[in-house]
Amino acid sequence: MRSLLSFFALVWAVAVSAISTTGDRLLVVLDDVADQSSYSKFLGDLTSSSPCPLSVLRYWPYRGFKLSFETPKSESLSLFHLGERAYDHVILFPSKSKGLGPNLTANLLLQFINANGNILLTLSSGSSTPSSIVSLLAELDIQLPADRTGLVVDHFNYDAASAADQHDVLLLPAPHSIRPDIKDFFGAGAGSDEVLVFPRGVGATLGSGELLMPIVRAPRTAYSYNPKEQGEVVDDLFAAGEQLALAAAFQARNSARFALVGSAELLEDAWFDAEVKTTSGQAAKTFNREFAKRLSGWAFQEIGVLRVNWIEHHLNEVGASNESNPGIYRIKNDVTYTISLSEWSWSSWSTFKVPANDGLQLEFSMLSPFHRLDLALDPSHSTAEAAAYTASFKLPDQHGIFNFKINYKRPFFTNVEEKNTVSVRHMAHDEWPRSYVISGAWPWITGIGATVAAWLAFCALWIYSAPVDQKKKGAKKL
Amino acid sequence: MRFQQQTFASAALLALAVASGLASAAASSWGFDDASLSIAARKGSEGIKEKLNQKTPLAMPVALGSADSLKVALTAKDNGKGKRPHQAFVVLRDQDSGLEAPFPLTVKENGKAVVQISQKDLPAQLLLAEKPLKASVVIASFGSATGLNTPAFEVEIRPDPATPLPNYEKPLRYGKRPEIHHIFRSDPRSPPKVISLFFTLAVAATVPALFIGWALLGANLNHLTKALGAAPLSHASFFGSIVAMEFVFFMYYTSWNLFQTLPVAAVVGVVAALSGTKALGEVQSRRLAGER
Repeated sequence: MRSLLSFFALVWAVAVSAISTTGDRLLVVLDDVADQSSYSKFLGDLTSSSPCPLSVLRYWPYRGFKLSFETPKSESLSLFHLGERAYDHVILFPSKSKGLGPNLTANLLLQFINANGNILLTLSSGSSTPSSIVSLLAELDIQLPADRTGLVVDHFNYDAASAADQHDVLLLPAPHSIRPDIKDFFGAGAGSDEVLVFPRGVGATLGSGELLMPIVRAPRTAYSYNPKEQGEVVDDLFAAGEQLALAAAFQARNSARFALVGSAELLEDAWFDAEVKTTSGQAAKTFNREFAKRLSGWAFQEIGVLRVNWIEHHLNEVGASNESNPGIYRIKNDVTYTISLSEWSWSSWSTFKVPANDGLQLEFSMLSPFHRLDLALDPSHSTAEAAAYTASFKLPDQHGIFNFKINYKRPFFTNVEEKNTVSVRHMAHDEWPRSYVISGAWPWITGIGATVAAWLAFCALWIYSAPVDQKKKGAKKL
Repeated sequence: MRFQQQTFASAALLALAVASGLASAAASSWGFDDASLSIAARKGSEGIKEKLNQKTPLAMPVALGSADSLKVALTAKDNGKGKRPHQAFVVLRDQDSGLEAPFPLTVKENGKAVVQISQKDLPAQLLLAEKPLKASVVIASFGSATGLNTPAFEVEIRPDPATPLPNYEKPLRYGKRPEIHHIFRSDPRSPPKVISLFFTLAVAATVPALFIGWALLGANLNHLTKALGAAPLSHASFFGSIVAMEFVFFMYYTSWNLFQTLPVAAVVGVVAALSGTKALGEVQSRRLAGER
């Protein structure tokens, strides 16, 4: 077990060279390559080449992406090269053209996701979404307003400084996790006076699939309308309130990530350190820079990445040999299973703490689970970089081929699926309890003993006895 | 009365504005007036008509049957003047899950707004709600007027007992699943030990009973010395091998396997056969001598 752990560490140290776990080649697709100056802080954070502690609370990590800038219709743009991905991540900024060109069709973007590439897509209410993007979002079960353009407004939560009349710059609280069992990746540590600014963005509605998760939901009084046609009255409402997702996440089954941000403007330099005013007149600072870092960090596999280091199961009975991961057990054996998990957070592996209210579960199953047990943290096998989780249980009294299954799929974490197959044999003929411990058998055993004793006595009597004295008997009779 | 109150209110506001010297329109806010809620039953006589108040919601929930349609009519007012707001929704909220469904009101230029909601317009999650749905009115628009978002009434959904409810399955969400513990078959049980002990003693008691019976019939070992004198080795081996065979059975029962037992049994058997001819020959000689 120890040697296995060090072997894995060696292999991993050799293999990793980028800070994102899946690579550092980042493609940025813009209509006009000169536009990148308005996103200079966001892109600069992505390429940051040295650690820079700007504040005690936020430590800008070494992210070290290598950016390439292309326009959508450029001929040299190709997501694949000789069958392999040419880039590891793609950022798509809003484009005014109707289609994104032959190199970025919805099909190619989906192939990119299937090849473990990550995509960060930004939309804007100012330009209508290209048809290939709409097809891609439809494939992922994300719906955009009709006419592919919409504007999210909120007459109750807007920035009084810049959008006092139009109400199209939304002020949102820092996004905390929607469910209590999900780790708060995006809003943890935000100050109470910090707001997320969502200027002139598009809201989307998400399908009900399990791969989709909203990151930022619109406030309850917000709604989406088409500024060109619905300027006076909203006759056909697309969606309103918390059904509108302003930022959403999609994680494919191969753990490739797709993040959708409804407003590309929230990534602009102007909003990163802006001062905004709430409707009640309070000044607030924007949370956009930190949010952009965390959102891109999630999308590009810098946070929320899990790794299984080793799995070990063994027989946990008195007198059992010390063998790890045997291939065969017996029914009703006591078995202990341990799995070691690490979580990648920005630049290093650390112990993976299962979020509160959530549980890492082990399934012991043949065709369906016979046991589904919560694994508990095992400090004796945990290190500073890996946490071990263990469970001890009794194998079912059904023989067959069973699997130790770990199926840990959670929103925002990479999928962990591990399967170890073992045989479970039935009791051997000499493993049953002996008859002398079965109280119901005592009369029978006593019977055998009685028979043996009577037999031996009979033999002795028959060989060594003398007949009874006839004379005496005879005399009596007479 | 209301007209007088309104003129008082606006006069007071104007006075305030003049007094403070502000030229701006000051805190204008949206509100609604002349609001009514009516439920028109398509079949049957009951229809409910209630007046809605901007300040206080209705005390009792109204019931919406399967063939009924709920109509909300109001006049949206900005600072007392009827105007068309951009956002005029009636939002129905499920108390348990927090899901909300907005129903936009159709608003005319003068601020008169109306909306009709029936059960078929509701999403399945709200139709299946256990508690009454809380309805609030949201009226707001662009500009500096503050919007209005107040609870107005509660509506209780009465599904049609004849038609089956829509089948709504909660979608799969990744998360912790319920624990499963295998229920083991119960171990084989023995009857109470008292019964076993009773019968054990009953069986064990037959042995002394047998010995006593034999003793009463005149059992004895009188020829033991004579037999051992005549053929000591044979008799010792023969009886010894009979006892040894029982011992082999006992060892097989407790610890030996068949491959250990069979050779030993074979040896004991051979000893029994060879010594037995001699020993039983001696018995035969005693029989022929008339001593048996």
